[in-house]
Amino acid sequence: MNWYLQNGKESDVVISTRVRLSRNIKGIPFINRCSKDELKEVYDKVKEITPSLGYNLKFLSLDDMDTITKQSLVEKHLISPDFAKTKMPYTAIVINEDENICIMINEEDHIKLQVFTSGLDIDNLLNLAIEIDEKIGSFIPYSYHEKYGFLTACPTNVGTGLKISTLVHIPALQMTGNLNKMLNIINNLGMNVRGLYGEGSKAEGDVYQVSNNQTLGITEKEIAKNLNLLAQKIIDQERLARKYLSKNSLKLEDEVYRNYGILANARRLGEDETIELLSKVKLGTDLGIIKELNDKKIRELMLYTKPANMQKRIGNKLSVIDQEVSRCETIKQILQQD
Amino acid sequence: MLCQNCGKNEANFRYTQIINGVRKELNLCSDCARKLGVDNIDIPMNFSSFLGDFFNDYVESSLLPSLSLNNAKCKTCGMTYNDFIDTGMFGCSDCYDAFSGPIDSLLKNLHGTARHIGRGTKNTDEIPKVNKKIDKKESKNSELEDLQKELDKAIKEERYEDAAKIRDKIKEMNK
Repeated sequence: MNWYLQNGKESDVVISTRVRLSRNIKGIPFINRCSKDELKEVYDKVKEITPSLGYNLKFLSLDDMDTITKQSLVEKHLISPDFAKTKMPYTAIVINEDENICIMINEEDHIKLQVFTSGLDIDNLLNLAIEIDEKIGSFIPYSYHEKYGFLTACPTNVGTGLKISTLVHIPALQMTGNLNKMLNIINNLGMNVRGLYGEGSKAEGDVYQVSNNQTLGITEKEIAKNLNLLAQKIIDQERLARKYLSKNSLKLEDEVYRNYGILANARRLGEDETIELLSKVKLGTDLGIIKELNDKKIRELMLYTKPANMQKRIGNKLSVIDQEVSRCETIKQILQQD
Repeated sequence: MLCQNCGKNEANFRYTQIINGVRKELNLCSDCARKLGVDNIDIPMNFSSFLGDFFNDYVESSLLPSLSLNNAKCKTCGMTYNDFIDTGMFGCSDCYDAFSGPIDSLLKNLHGTARHIGRGTKNTDEIPKVNKKIDKKESKNSELEDLQKELDKAIKEERYEDAAKIRDKIKEMNK
């Protein structure tokens, strides 16, 4: 089973963790200054070494991929939205069957190595990333500077080139009015936090992405340690808020089951509304209020109600209005599975 | 008029597409327009385009280097200083050396420092090395602190002979 359908450590609050390393190949300009031939050189070099890397990695060209498949990768957070839309030639991903390793080729940098896990498991994830990084580095010389470390096109990634991010689901902090306090603290600690869905400050589905800003003048271990500490604090606070909500159990149960009722019985549901409903339903499942659901079903609901993954599951291309009807059918099917 | 995509809401968005001279018009409701991504005006704005201006400020504050820097050009990829201001992205590895002066201030602003202390390329034992250095420094500092406390205590208790010995020790460590 793919990692994003599984549960991990602290999965009641942490949905997933990603470790990303930005690397460029020595002697080739960064991609914004690359000629077509140079992009091809990056593409060919990585393609050539892919079988030697192990992990059952496969090299897939983005040019050969249809829009829905690309969009389904964005919905799984495996590639960036901009990368899915790019018109640049010679873009590719290197990915394995489990999809817990996904390397973007010719995105913002030549090589963006990413590894994923559900739940919170930063140390193991960082070790895996470094292991793969060293393997790639043994075949392809990286662009490295004595003083500035690993060089990247954007100076916000230079040095370690390491960005660690975790997706946290914190509905109770929002419901108890403590969300802004938490977001402020995270910002003050020099970390980056933003809503995963929705625009601006409003985060649909109460899912936030927390990641490090500093990549230079700090060791990989320190970045990992800081993010671990911060994630643990967020988990503690969210659990405290959930405990508080549980005190008024009738009110909470009512709220959770109202959302579940709509999710299970509606005949037409838009994507955004589903995200909101699922947030409360996930909370209810995590707290053991909704007994008829389990974590696996929640994970499936979260993935297969997204437009591209839903269409891939059904095997048909659908208009937006047909999607709203299909979404409800998909939800019913998942709920009725054993 | 109803939206031509969903057919249920009032259309309040007219989308005109001209591809190779063929004109196509669609009347959409705002929901569908947003979903189909046609109401997005793609302003070329990202974090990096802001960075360039950050960079600019540093140079303006030191007038003299700005004159020479505006003409500065990376010999390898041909990126000029002004190109960097526009995009916030470097063109190649050598840009870091070509614009190295102001890059330090920019990096300090972004990361609080301008020197890498993480992993190296081939040499993976660089991490323990760095850690050891820090450890040594730290242990020395804490030892110094302890001695300073002892010295204060000795003076307080008027044990001047001991105090002199401790003072000498501190002097030696600070050498």
